[in-house]
Amino acid sequence: MSSEVVILMRIILPLYVTAFILYTVRAVRGPTIPDIILAVDCMSFDIAAFMAILAVYFKSTYLITGAIILALWAYLLDVYVANHLTKKEVGV
Amino acid sequence: MNILFTLGAILITIGGICDLFGAIGLLKFPNFYVRLHAATIGTIGGAAVPLFGVALLALGTDIPHKYAIAGASFITGIIVLLAAPAGSTALAYAAHKSNTVEWKPKTDHLKEAKK
Repeated sequence: MSSEVVILMRIILPLYVTAFILYTVRAVRGPTIPDIILAVDCMSFDIAAFMAILAVYFKSTYLITGAIILALWAYLLDVYVANHLTKKEVGV
Repeated sequence: MNILFTLGAILITIGGICDLFGAIGLLKFPNFYVRLHAATIGTIGGAAVPLFGVALLALGTDIPHKYAIAGASFITGIIVLLAAPAGSTALAYAAHKSNTVEWKPKTDHLKEAKK
């Protein structure tokens, strides 16, 4: 079954890596703060998904725990930046 | 090759294609509120769908601790499905309220409702 995982990885790896590069370009270029936060947010969710794929590829349980933390962290970043933009303070 | 593995591989490939389209849209669209549309494709189609696909794919293989990987990726998929629209909505509200985004709308119903 592992050879089929290798074939699948060979198909999807260019798609994900190209998407990461394009998200990085938008995060660096983004004219306003919400654009940068949106690009970093998308990239975090997609890295979480890619980390789950890597957990199957490397047969490791440790990688999948990072994916949960990363998904929750991206939501936290959104809410804190929205708070800062509206109220001019990070309401922790 | 069993049915769970095939279904998971198809979902992961759909997720990769959605991810690429979302990234291209995020790079090419003119302003922030239009980019939110592409960002939704990139998060729901590009992160939640492949996470459910990884859950099915891990159940189809015979790797060690496959139930741990499948359950954790399923939970992460549900978290992304709930958290990504909430975060995007909060960010759009904050951007509209703080007037940081330059755009030329034909009608702005939110600003009319505030008056």
